[in-house]
Amino acid sequence: MFYISIFLQYMSQYIKTKLQYRTDLFVEFLSDLMFQGVNLIFILVVFGHTQFLNGWTRDEIIFIYGFFLVPFALFASFFNIWDFNERYIVRGEMDRVLTRPVHSLFQIVLERMELESLLGGITGLIVMGYAASRLHLTFHWYDVILFVLFVLGGTFVYAGIFISLASISFWSDARSSIMPMMYNIGNYGRYPVDIYNRVIRYILTWILPFAFVGVYPAAYFLRKTEWYTYSFLTPVMGVICFTLSLLLWNAGVKRYRGAGN
Amino acid sequence: MYAIEVEKLRKEFKSYSSRSGLAGAFRDLFTRNYKIVRAVDDISFTVKQGEMVGYIGENGAGKSTTIKMLTGILTPTSGRVVVNGMNPHKERERFVQTIGVVFGQRSQLWWDIAVQESFRLLKKVYRVSDQAYNEHMDHVIETLDIGPLLDKPVRKLSLGQRMRCELAAALIHNPPLLFLDEPTIGLDVLVKLKIRQFLKEINEKYNTTILLTTHDMTDIEALCERVIMLDEGKIIYDGSLQHLKQNWGEGRQIHFQFRDMVSKEELTSLVPVTWEQGEDRYNWIAHVLTHDMAHVIGKIVSSYELKDIHIREVSTEEIISNIYEEGIHHG
Repeated sequence: MFYISIFLQYMSQYIKTKLQYRTDLFVEFLSDLMFQGVNLIFILVVFGHTQFLNGWTRDEIIFIYGFFLVPFALFASFFNIWDFNERYIVRGEMDRVLTRPVHSLFQIVLERMELESLLGGITGLIVMGYAASRLHLTFHWYDVILFVLFVLGGTFVYAGIFISLASISFWSDARSSIMPMMYNIGNYGRYPVDIYNRVIRYILTWILPFAFVGVYPAAYFLRKTEWYTYSFLTPVMGVICFTLSLLLWNAGVKRYRGAGN
Repeated sequence: MYAIEVEKLRKEFKSYSSRSGLAGAFRDLFTRNYKIVRAVDDISFTVKQGEMVGYIGENGAGKSTTIKMLTGILTPTSGRVVVNGMNPHKERERFVQTIGVVFGQRSQLWWDIAVQESFRLLKKVYRVSDQAYNEHMDHVIETLDIGPLLDKPVRKLSLGQRMRCELAAALIHNPPLLFLDEPTIGLDVLVKLKIRQFLKEINEKYNTTILLTTHDMTDIEALCERVIMLDEGKIIYDGSLQHLKQNWGEGRQIHFQFRDMVSKEELTSLVPVTWEQGEDRYNWIAHVLTHDMAHVIGKIVSSYELKDIHIREVSTEEIISNIYEEGIHHG
């Protein structure tokens, strides 16, 4: 309860600050839209020539991509802490965070949130709608609930991986250059995993479970029954990933060395 | 009950030294030369509720590291810390509710938003009720004279203005214990005075314990009766400032300006104390003990014609730097 009220307080503050810089907001909005557009065009071009990819149709792949955008947008809005090492460890901002009576990770999530990234989610919904109508998909009322669950699961998988990576900064002074690479690997999750070789598939499922952000949960809505087990594992994976990353984070905080003045 | 209890507190950092050259860099890839640096070395002390203590030492003496362990930011390597009856790093979130922290070189406030918005967020974070907030903060805002700054964003404030706001922000939850790490660094005299005045006031009003690190000895003189002095991670002095001054700053410097040139030999044979030449041979400085002062002046005045004379007390600053140069032993 306390955490929710703090969250709302920060969020209203965030919006207030953003509204103060109107041109900035406008430019950002525009560039986000353009970015989304370019992404969409890319997908259409890539799959324009091939109608089938290992048994998946072009529209199905577009649907997966649309689905992927939703948890990714949530992740990017709240857990995008790629600059954690730079900002909090090297510059010593972590000192300040640790002197406040709220969980340190939660504070950082609040401080680093970027609500405008939620726009990507809307793009995702549009893309999904487009693909779904072309595929003549039908949905039940409970699919809405499952959709929310799967999206949250995917978000937490993503968040868990990136929080774990950020936690490494507590142990190593080196600036982590793995972050950009991770974003790349993350993108693999939005294509059907069975187009990859077995090792990569295994990695994307169990080690860096990015497949749970895109293809697995989306397969449910595409009625690919052979993938259902994985689909329903999505929320579970989310909880596991997130919990593990929290444990790693808490252990890391104990190791925090502070920055010299 | 003590506000702070520290027993055999130690903090070690592992740092590695890199080898020189390209070949060395390759060797570093596989085996690193680790070196254990003891930043805080088995220190013990206690602070009573309501005390104002100056925590002093040179750069790298371990001041900040101690403060960070006392505030729960760092986990000690060994030893016992009890602050406000709690173990800072174990019960961090409950513990920090009872302390206020000001790091002079780091802002607690949000850069882009108005000061009062920062206050409002902190009020929420510390779960302060509207009533308690108004009662307490109205007074704080008035005393620190920051009323007109409240609707400005922090980035538009001068350093002095920002520092006063920082102090107010650290007191939103009216903590019984306040840590100030270099609170007056880079501030002008007027702001310094205001801040000191304010700290004294809250200490009297709420019996707030204050632990202060600073390089500015005038801060310590104005505020603290007790100082803890640190050198290379060890406490080398813990006691009253008065005592420190009596033992170390007993001497006075008397500056004589003579009408005629005099030599050191002449002076020494007349009054056997340490003489030091001023800018020329008309100016001489005598280092004497306080109770010899009258005697020395009397002797000189009766033998020479003088243009000017003035007496200077050894400043705390000089005392401290003497201690660091010579060690505490002879005091």
